[in-house]
Amino acid sequence: MALMLLSSFPPALRRLLVALVASCVVLGLDIWQRPQIPAQASAPWPADTAVPDLRKLQVQAGGEIPMPAGMAAAHASSLLPMPSGDAASLSVFWFSGDRESGPNVQIAASQYDRSTQQWSPARFVVNRFAMAEQLGYGLRRLGNPVAWLDGGGRVNLFVVATGWGGWAASRILHLRQSSPGRGLAELAFEPVRVLPLSWLWNTSFLVRNAPLPLMDGGMMLPVHFELGIKYPTALRFDNAGDFRGMVRLSQRLHLLQPSLVMQSPSAWLAFMRDERPQGKVSVARTTDAGVHWSDLPDLTLDNPDAAVAGLGMAEGQMLLAHNSSIASRGTLDLSRSANGRDWTLVGTLERGGHDDEYSYPAMAWVDGNLWVTYTVDRHRIAWKRLAAVPLAGPKP
Amino acid sequence: MTVPLDNWFALLLATDAPALPSPPVMQLWLRLGWCTVLAWMGVVAMGRFAPVSARRGAWPITVAAVLALSAWLPGPYSPAYWLGLAFQAPSVVTALLCAGILLERLVPSSVARGSAPAPNRLKTAFAFTGVVLGWALLLDTFALLPLQLYAWGFSPAAVGLVVLVAAVPWVVLGSAPQALRARTWVVPIALLVFAAWHLPTGNVWDVVLDPWLWVALHVYLGRRVWMR
Repeated sequence: MALMLLSSFPPALRRLLVALVASCVVLGLDIWQRPQIPAQASAPWPADTAVPDLRKLQVQAGGEIPMPAGMAAAHASSLLPMPSGDAASLSVFWFSGDRESGPNVQIAASQYDRSTQQWSPARFVVNRFAMAEQLGYGLRRLGNPVAWLDGGGRVNLFVVATGWGGWAASRILHLRQSSPGRGLAELAFEPVRVLPLSWLWNTSFLVRNAPLPLMDGGMMLPVHFELGIKYPTALRFDNAGDFRGMVRLSQRLHLLQPSLVMQSPSAWLAFMRDERPQGKVSVARTTDAGVHWSDLPDLTLDNPDAAVAGLGMAEGQMLLAHNSSIASRGTLDLSRSANGRDWTLVGTLERGGHDDEYSYPAMAWVDGNLWVTYTVDRHRIAWKRLAAVPLAGPKP
Repeated sequence: MTVPLDNWFALLLATDAPALPSPPVMQLWLRLGWCTVLAWMGVVAMGRFAPVSARRGAWPITVAAVLALSAWLPGPYSPAYWLGLAFQAPSVVTALLCAGILLERLVPSSVARGSAPAPNRLKTAFAFTGVVLGWALLLDTFALLPLQLYAWGFSPAAVGLVVLVAAVPWVVLGSAPQALRARTWVVPIALLVFAAWHLPTGNVWDVVLDPWLWVALHVYLGRRVWMR
């Protein structure tokens, strides 16, 4: 009947109706396979107990993380707090090889054992040749890793992997734990995909800073574009570790390596490295959990075109690890703020000469302690554990 | 159960519910896509640079087959391994266009359905649309557009828009031979592939246009202008 009715229409109208029906079928098939729209994002505070007075944070212990044997270069550490039942309280990942951007660079890892209070010997956990074989295409170089635990307790790694070209030809390779356990001895990864972030042969996005966990078990991953210009973007992932979209954080074209810091479950700040000479730490803000972002005036903190790492501990309690000299990465400071605008020095983590480098800090809050790792002269990864101690003052 | 209208709109416009291809499907497409493009390149190169005697007979098919098979070699022995490193996977439209041209060259009888030439206006309109879309995506890549166009390509609304645009030539021309010659079927089939498997990335812009195709469309439009 419908066909007879259709055949009575003029050919053009008939084709229009058929085209509309076919379009609906394609669209329906597409929508049918999509996941549900996620609820508005909301971030949880990192500490499950009362946060101590951040003014009282002092270094309790520190040292260097064991390096893989024979490797001269190490850079860009990423800290991952481990679940309470694990033997290790913390994992750290970084890239290591003969030299930065060298052909033998791999992703190394070490874990801090709860019982021995020691870092385990480092082990390579990601090799570009092995990952390329599984992906079906080559990866020219590996760079910054960022680690995250998804809702299923699997370790996910996001690793900078270059195509033809230097860092500007980078893509972000998403890897997921393929081993049954998270212990370093067995930890292994398999590629999920190279994240689809750009039309231009999927270049040039890089990842550096830790994700902001969400209450639904997902997270927001800060990344940046850096081909010629630089701008920051945040990617959303769901509880299962699946990519759920992207949003640009700033209209400015000279900002990179955003670090997401929560002021409340839905109000977040993004602190960013500024590539301009004589730059400051730059800031953008969202009040609707990452849907819309607006630029804020730069902080008064100097930034020598170097990565920063931030952490929102509780309402009005934020921490920022940053290089504080104008043209050197020789000083690494830890500062605190109540409003994200005015910052006070908590302490200097490292102070060296003009040519020394203490850079690319990473921070995590674990069991009442603040852990900080950072690169030393691009050769080693150092760590510090800070805890609140009573301030010395006049006795009552 | 009925879904409220505002929910439908939210679903259509949502950029945060993308369906991405599974890793095995992506790996398959990487090889299949480059296999088609390589075979096309071989046949086109044969037609242009080979001695006249080699342009006929079994030579073109042999060259196309060898190049196509090379994409399925393991690891670094495969050109797809290196092409993927540099350019990821080709768009579905690129692969279908290459397949269409291959079919025309290797099996001429498959398209000899009528003598009417393909309408140039339609082909030019297609090329122009692709060029404009590519420029918009390039500007978006460098954050020079006020909207986030690539991110919008993860939404069903973008899929719907492309489907409707792709249907226009078919509505106007139907399945007449000249329409077939203008390859009006390419984009609708590419979108069907996308709806079924989300290839190549889960973003609808990557289905219809890749940077190499965009460059080729510039060349095509440039030749059209030059020939006028």
